[in-house]
Amino acid sequence: MELGPIISAMRRNKVGAIVVGVQMAITLAILCNALFIIEQRVALGKRPTGTDEANIVVITNQWAGHPTDLAAKLQGDLAALRSMPGVVDAFASNTYPLSNGGSSLNLKLNPEQRESTAQTALYIADEHGLQTLGLKLIAGRNFTADEVLDRMPGTNVPPSAVIVTRALAEKLFPGKNAAGQSVYSEYQKTLAPIVGVVDKLQVPWTQAGGFGSKFNDSSLLEPYRHEAPYGYYLVHAQPGQAVAVMKAAEKRLIEVNRARVLQKSQTLTEARAEAYKDDRGLVIILGVVCAALVAVTAFGIVGLTSYWVAQRRRQIGIRRALGATRTAIIRYFQTENFLIAAVGSIGGIGLALSLNLWMVTAFEMERLDTRYALIGAVFVLLLGQLAVLWPALKAASIPPALATRAA
Amino acid sequence: MLKMTHLSKAYRTEVVETFALRDFSIHVREGEFVAVTGPSGSGKTTFLTIAGLLEEFSGGEYQLDGANVRGLNDNQRSKLRNEKIGFIFQAFNLIADLNVQDNIDVPLRYRGFNGAERRRRIQEALGRVGLSARSRHYPAELSGGQQQRVAIARALAGSPRLLLADEPTGNLDTQMARGVMDLLEELHRDGATIVMVTHDPELAVRAQREVHIVDGQVVDMAPQPRLVEAAQAGS
Amino acid sequence: MFGYYFKLALGSLRRNAVLTALMIAAIGVGIGALMTTLTVFRAMAADPIPSKSRQLFAVQIDNWGPKKGVSPGDKDNLQVQLSYIDAMGLMNANAAHRQTVMYVTGFALTPVNPDLRPFQVQARAAYADFFWMFNAPFRYGGPWSAADDSGHADVVVIGNELNEKVFGGANSVGKTIDLDDHEYRIVGVLDRWQPTPKYFDLNGNTYGTPEDAFIPFTRAIDQQMASWGNTNCPSGGGPSGWDARLQSECIWMQFWVELPTPADAARYRAFLNNYAAEQQRSGRFSWPPNTRLRDVREWLVYQHAVDDGVRILVLVSFSFLLVCLLNAMGLMLAKIMGRVADIGVRRALGANRRAIFSQCLIEASVVGLAGGLLGLLLTALGLLGLRSLLSEDVGRLTHFSPADVIIAVTLSIAATTLAGLYPTWRAAQVQPAWQLKSQ
Repeated sequence: MELGPIISAMRRNKVGAIVVGVQMAITLAILCNALFIIEQRVALGKRPTGTDEANIVVITNQWAGHPTDLAAKLQGDLAALRSMPGVVDAFASNTYPLSNGGSSLNLKLNPEQRESTAQTALYIADEHGLQTLGLKLIAGRNFTADEVLDRMPGTNVPPSAVIVTRALAEKLFPGKNAAGQSVYSEYQKTLAPIVGVVDKLQVPWTQAGGFGSKFNDSSLLEPYRHEAPYGYYLVHAQPGQAVAVMKAAEKRLIEVNRARVLQKSQTLTEARAEAYKDDRGLVIILGVVCAALVAVTAFGIVGLTSYWVAQRRRQIGIRRALGATRTAIIRYFQTENFLIAAVGSIGGIGLALSLNLWMVTAFEMERLDTRYALIGAVFVLLLGQLAVLWPALKAASIPPALATRAA
Repeated sequence: MLKMTHLSKAYRTEVVETFALRDFSIHVREGEFVAVTGPSGSGKTTFLTIAGLLEEFSGGEYQLDGANVRGLNDNQRSKLRNEKIGFIFQAFNLIADLNVQDNIDVPLRYRGFNGAERRRRIQEALGRVGLSARSRHYPAELSGGQQQRVAIARALAGSPRLLLADEPTGNLDTQMARGVMDLLEELHRDGATIVMVTHDPELAVRAQREVHIVDGQVVDMAPQPRLVEAAQAGS
Repeated sequence: MFGYYFKLALGSLRRNAVLTALMIAAIGVGIGALMTTLTVFRAMAADPIPSKSRQLFAVQIDNWGPKKGVSPGDKDNLQVQLSYIDAMGLMNANAAHRQTVMYVTGFALTPVNPDLRPFQVQARAAYADFFWMFNAPFRYGGPWSAADDSGHADVVVIGNELNEKVFGGANSVGKTIDLDDHEYRIVGVLDRWQPTPKYFDLNGNTYGTPEDAFIPFTRAIDQQMASWGNTNCPSGGGPSGWDARLQSECIWMQFWVELPTPADAARYRAFLNNYAAEQQRSGRFSWPPNTRLRDVREWLVYQHAVDDGVRILVLVSFSFLLVCLLNAMGLMLAKIMGRVADIGVRRALGANRRAIFSQCLIEASVVGLAGGLLGLLLTALGLLGLRSLLSEDVGRLTHFSPADVIIAVTLSIAATTLAGLYPTWRAAQVQPAWQLKSQ
């Protein structure tokens, strides 16, 4: 291909070429960073909780007034829930996955240790917890009924046993079987035996880069009856019956005792949608902006190249008269665009990486995978070729006879 | 009206300096109709662009309507062009996107006339060239001769002191060319000062006198009074 | 001449309809995207109390020392909340013009009508100064008195929504409501109140509405009302029971002061340092004083009130607009290069550089105007989309004000004109002789 004439033609229309090149560079920089963010947020919203979400219902229970004998009230409620048709199992807890609220603990291996070994979310559960949540026990055993103690919130009752997630076990005892080991909670000032390890249970916090994001799968279950004026009933329904069970359970609880507020009931599937709503919104908005960006850049190239073609009509006619084939004319514009896009892409990759570097410091952002920038560059090159095709075809259709006519 | 003395114009490239005009002197009096002739590359067009204040010159003096134009800035030259000079181009140079009356309107706008004044002048100029009925046509809808008459109307509308014509019939067939020449002669009879550049000796004879340029210099500036019998036959 | 140039611009734009449409669409989309995100951003970054944002201060005291547990959001060795001990220490010192400690809690409200079921009421426990400090608007009645604070009175100020729900919007001052089996006397009803962001407590929902009810802090502590907000405890053992919690170094309270002049603020800073130094002398702190006083604006920046996602969107849409403008600039340049002949004729006919410059610049502005109007339309659509995509609290921030119309159109015209400067400058450089010579 005749690069020389193309380059000298571009030098005569320097600013036009620069404008297109810079436009492509910025497009590339935005595109690969936005796609990177999209990919990350999508992955964030897909993280599993480790529970059987579709079949788990959460009912928020708040007692009105200052109820006495919370222990009896809790057992009454749980007995009522467990005896309902369509219910597999139920228990009461201080929090639930995807709730974005809960407690965390710092764990050590022994009281003398200065720095804590791991941070973990705390889930309160009785012996029904594992079955209700649908957690998979991979080592050890479930809590026994004897291990489950009474506990009012705000009081400090040393746990008789704990169950940890695989991720937490790995952090505490890398390469070893955690079941049978003991762990020391700084807050409770007790060494508690680990009786079981479950495969996965996500912490309740879900925000990108927010609290809990550093120990996303490190959860700890402690065996208590959650005798609190405010708490959550988690109910595992038979497959497909979650919504029906939710309505029936609310009604049943009111029948058992009217002096309560059932502030909010939802399935964990609904809780997931709510927890990631803003992330999903960001993904969609970024997607729309990216689409618009690609369209604007493409149409810009189409418009500008069309103009160049129109301006060089006579020149092109003369070239045709001198024997240039249609393909040669198309090649000319494609090569011209390729040269601009190539320079733009190199600048764009640099811009993309520095934009990302800045975002890493300004926001809770991860480093951009260089592959994204390369894929983006290929995309921008293809976009340019595609956009230039139509004006190039128009140029190729200019008749050689044009050369013989007066300007 | 137009007086150039020892004027020179050099075009500089990186390597060479070529003189398009050299020690060029010419004097056109008020009411004269002068034809400037010469072979291709003799400097005719350069003379016209300088006379029309489209370009600056390198040396010498140029007085237009009594005023020295040497060293005037772009704004001052634009103003002089607008007020004192009417152009008639070989290729008409009508603005394709504007209709006839809007084309004539262009210099009047820059002159700053008010709406009523502009309308009056447009009508008058169009009447002068016999195209009153075509005021809303676009250039592409007119014949070459009509287009050139619109261009003449545009040149006349601002009542310039000097009309500069560059091969005004170069793009026209014989019949249309005759019409345009008749019009120029009529304008001259009415008192206009006209300088016409042409390489066509037949046109040149229709002017009052002819100035011949060769290699950027006036060869023969002797007044050559001529009869104007052809003009009567025209219109 | 403006009218003439405007007419020329319209004619020129009409003649290249496709190109004009491309330019207007590009600028419209760019302006639309930027205005959409900027509207949310501005709402998030807005000063929630412009008249007093330099006089209200959040107080921070490091009561954990360099060896600390984990507290979310602490970036400079300072906790964002206070312990009860320090909050009361400051309250008792009474060193500010106005001051209040506060925390979020809640009740179940049992309606008088036995057929109605109890419902949840979120409440804020505070001192009477709270209402004066944060300019809480009253519909009926007013704040409780200082005597109510010291008397641990069972009085309540309720929000507009709760008043609508329970009393149908009537003046309920003097009536009582049953909150967790206790009758509280209503002394005031707030008007609609939506400080955005909810700057005085950013622990929960940054853009949430204020609580449904407000009760004296002294009363809430008496009633051992648990915090419904964040509680963070340092390592070294958690408290067991209410009294232990009050005596612990756990942090769960916000503390704000009003200091009318910079001199007052300087005095209060010194006071805070003295207070911490006192704690060090008494042996409670084993580290030198580390305290901070931040006004509302500083507090919002420090607490990162503007969501990262929105910041990213603003950044992306700014760059997007830049691409759109480059695009328009390229097209304008192409257009002007295609009109060089006409410009040359105009110059020959007496147009000076300024005339050509004005003509082209006005054409660019007209494109900007049209792009701005299209951008407005797209902004309205974009905000509608945002509202359906984002959570309710953020979605509430997507309101378009009349001022935004002016901002959008002005921004569009200014940006497009700026982008048109270079093509216009090129147009003005066209020599009048050009056309003659080429023939």
